[in-house]
Amino acid sequence: MAKAVRQRRSRRTLATFLVLVLLSVTLITLDETGRAASLTSGLKSLASDIYSPLRHGVNGVLDPIGRFFAGAVDYGSLEAENQKLQDQILRLERQHASDVAGQREYAALQRLLATERLPSIASLPAVTAEVTAQNVSDFAATVNIDKGRDEGVTLGDPVVGPGGLVGVVVTATRATATVRLLTDGKSAIGVSLGPQQAATLDGSGAGRLLQIQYVPSTARIFRGELISTSGLQGGALPPGIPVATVTSVHSVVGAADKQVTARPLADLNDLTYVEVIQWSGSS
Amino acid sequence: MSGRVVIRTLLVVAVALLAQMTVLLDIRVSGASPEVMYLIGIAAGIVGGPVDGAVVGFVAGIAADLLSPTPLGMTALVGTLVGFGVGAVSGGVAREVRGLPTLLALGASAIAVMLYAVLGKLLGEPQYLHVDLVAVVAVVAIANAVLAGPAVRLMRWALEPSADEPAPSRRR
Repeated sequence: MAKAVRQRRSRRTLATFLVLVLLSVTLITLDETGRAASLTSGLKSLASDIYSPLRHGVNGVLDPIGRFFAGAVDYGSLEAENQKLQDQILRLERQHASDVAGQREYAALQRLLATERLPSIASLPAVTAEVTAQNVSDFAATVNIDKGRDEGVTLGDPVVGPGGLVGVVVTATRATATVRLLTDGKSAIGVSLGPQQAATLDGSGAGRLLQIQYVPSTARIFRGELISTSGLQGGALPPGIPVATVTSVHSVVGAADKQVTARPLADLNDLTYVEVIQWSGSS
Repeated sequence: MSGRVVIRTLLVVAVALLAQMTVLLDIRVSGASPEVMYLIGIAAGIVGGPVDGAVVGFVAGIAADLLSPTPLGMTALVGTLVGFGVGAVSGGVAREVRGLPTLLALGASAIAVMLYAVLGKLLGEPQYLHVDLVAVVAVVAIANAVLAGPAVRLMRWALEPSADEPAPSRRR
């Protein structure tokens, strides 16, 4: 009798386990194959809509605690940052005393403004958004921003930060959106190097250099060369947005393509405000 | 699971998710931050056995997946496997043995992160193995080991009947 009960329990345990595994695998399949992408992204969007105000409220209370712990475990880098800031203050004080340095600062600001008012995107509507969370998962390079569908942010919109392109909107809820950064492994941006050469810029993980694919071994590419969006890929992104600079070029004997790496122009680890270019809706 | 257990468990999952997406996200060591959603399933496995471990691991995983840019179902699958595994291995004695929940949380969390990375690779996301996996495994495992005690106490509060309720038999 006891043995039969144990067997029944054991079967029920195994059945529960298998059902849950099967359910998980089904969800992964639906999400990954894109067959029910609208359903899964709708679920994520709904969850985010419900959760965002809650997180916003709690953040106000818990942020100081988080920053305290962050400071405790990251004391070394805080010290380095402190030193860096002190150096910067010294430098700025010297610059302030000099008219020439003041002009240089003005020129830098002009360059930043020029990035945001590129001819290709100047005519497009844009929304300024604050970055609310960075790298929600250790396995994906993304940032969350505080603007969503209500402000006209839609999937596929390019996002620009100080310096150049930061990434593309991959999910948008009513009040928030998630931006896939250039460095994310799933990121692939159509770019042009020089006037003639089109290529693809792939991410390979947070903090890693970008890989430029499909650059023929005959192409003339130089270190420090500026890479901009090509406007190809079916017009997924507007052309001419600065993206990155070439950091290394290697030719492999017998290979059809060169191995080219690049560094994003924008500092993707230090994003506070970004500009969402409302391109998907207008294109 | 009774209605009271379901409500308490969902409350624990919601609080853990809130902590994960707010205060814990700010803690970054070598680019990695703690991941307590696995710990909920692990603690449930220690307290209630394999079925509770799998069910709570699945629910916590789904909750994390819904707010994460990674594929829906990945954390749920890993949470189910790890919660079930911990429940089966601990055999109900882990919470009675001093220090064992901490060790189980340390080992199971490390396995969970590696499993997640391998699953990602199998699903065509090679960058999952390109992240600083050693740092992610170390941060998640150590953080969860430190938090194992409170997590087990929380899951005991959620899963075990109060004094005026009849005790359900442990499900294996």
